[in-house]
Amino acid sequence: MVHSPGAPVTRLAALRGLATRPLPEPPAGLRRGPFREGSFRSRLHDAALAARLGRWLGVLFAVCLVTGLLSHWAQSPDPWVAFPTRPVWLYRVTQGVHVLAGMAMIPVLLVKLFVVYPRLFTWPPVRSLLHGLERLSLLLLVGGALLQVATGLMNIAGWYAFGFFFPVGHYWGAWVTAGALLVHVGAKLSTARAALAQPLSGEVLPPPDEEDRAPALSRRALLASTVAASAAVVVVTAGQTVRPLAPLALLAPRDPRIGPQGLPVNKSAAAAGVEAAATDPAYRLRVDGPVPRELSLADLAALEQVSARLPIACVEGWSAEGIWTGVRVRDVLALAESPEDRDILVQSLQRNGLYARSVLSPAAARDPLTLLALRLGGEPLHLDHGYPVRLIAPARPGVLQTKWVARLGPR
Amino acid sequence: MRLRVLLMLTGAAAIGYGVVGLLRAASVTNPVRWTAQLVGAPLAHDGLFLPVVLLLVLAGRRWLPSSWRVPAAVFLLVGGALTLVAVPVLGRPGARPDNLTLLPRDYVPGLALALAVTAGAVVLGTAVVRTARRLRSRR
Repeated sequence: MVHSPGAPVTRLAALRGLATRPLPEPPAGLRRGPFREGSFRSRLHDAALAARLGRWLGVLFAVCLVTGLLSHWAQSPDPWVAFPTRPVWLYRVTQGVHVLAGMAMIPVLLVKLFVVYPRLFTWPPVRSLLHGLERLSLLLLVGGALLQVATGLMNIAGWYAFGFFFPVGHYWGAWVTAGALLVHVGAKLSTARAALAQPLSGEVLPPPDEEDRAPALSRRALLASTVAASAAVVVVTAGQTVRPLAPLALLAPRDPRIGPQGLPVNKSAAAAGVEAAATDPAYRLRVDGPVPRELSLADLAALEQVSARLPIACVEGWSAEGIWTGVRVRDVLALAESPEDRDILVQSLQRNGLYARSVLSPAAARDPLTLLALRLGGEPLHLDHGYPVRLIAPARPGVLQTKWVARLGPR
Repeated sequence: MRLRVLLMLTGAAAIGYGVVGLLRAASVTNPVRWTAQLVGAPLAHDGLFLPVVLLLVLAGRRWLPSSWRVPAAVFLLVGGALTLVAVPVLGRPGARPDNLTLLPRDYVPGLALALAVTAGAVVLGTAVVRTARRLRSRR
């Protein structure tokens, strides 16, 4: 076959020509209000500043993306590889960081949008097809970033007014926003490199007749204040997961010291509708396997009791530690002669709800620290903490630490 | 140039993956409302929030004595960020009667205290910077 070497290149060039061909400019009479030349005169609307803020935003965004994907992995019912069970505080740290980095992003994101605001009124609004596409991706980026941060902030406060199931919407929203961010970084690569090479120290002084137009803050002072704002936000919220900072957590939706038996609760027994079933004296734990068992609370108390200090770490970014006492899941499974290489399904007395059941990987089920807890801090579990029996395992998202366990066995 | 194209193509692929995922989970993600909020958020920010901030800045420029402008701007930024973060907890719209461990505090005095400490830190910081400047210029 004879190959015509020039053809594909020509076609590509034609496509490129089409994408970058200048579009007709709208009539100048439409250029009003903020679209006029020189509408924004503050020297803070500046590329060197925008690039530096963008760099920080990128770092915080990457931290949120990575920790978010870790959380997604930890919550996956069928992962390729099971989420690690050590160190026991792994999920506590990654999810605490996820929520705090998201909160720290708020001031940086808003200051960045302030700095680049005049770009919104670029004239002409669309220069070419490619330029239009790039601006459309910016809508995804700005909209995605604002939506992810705002709904995340609402979700941790239990305010579900945004109308979608948060974990799923937040996950796919993260892909859209991350993609828009990559497009933006690609589009701005050379601009950003040049802007980052400019020092911030050389403030340009305004001409004497425009002195009143000088911004109150220098560019450096604006950057420093943005860092201070992020730090302030972290200081008043980090205490929900960093216990020594709890007294400072003035704006955190949780206090790791407040709750029955000194631990916060995510879902109460009343909300789960299990009060009657959980306090029924006829309660039996069903253990599936080749030799199925039904264990009463007395049977469970007669087994070897193990105590472990383990955190309960919620996806909402709060965490607290407790001393849990109970029986090892592997000991209970051994009673039913359950095979050791299978996923274990743990089911709650709670009839409905997404977290009425959870899956333990074979490694997690065999782990000596994976317990069916009967006691917390030496007392029988509070009803809201999962009385009579709850699952507590190392490095596991709180929503998967199934409460009011009714049944467990190979999936 | 090649890196640039690679970034943009990867980005476009990620956007596509996210959109498909969102649509395939439509029963729980509510894509119409999700999209409306995605477009609405920048509209609200660019059309309402930022213009209000710019008006505040202009008002400060017009009415505040010039020596107050820097501390006022820093307070606006830090205090504004704290106030925004407090919005979902202030009126406790997420509170549930069966679970008193969610939103366990009174956040109004909490925010007031945080703002007061911010104001104090700004005043103190301003005093330190000005004293240092005066000492330097005397030398």
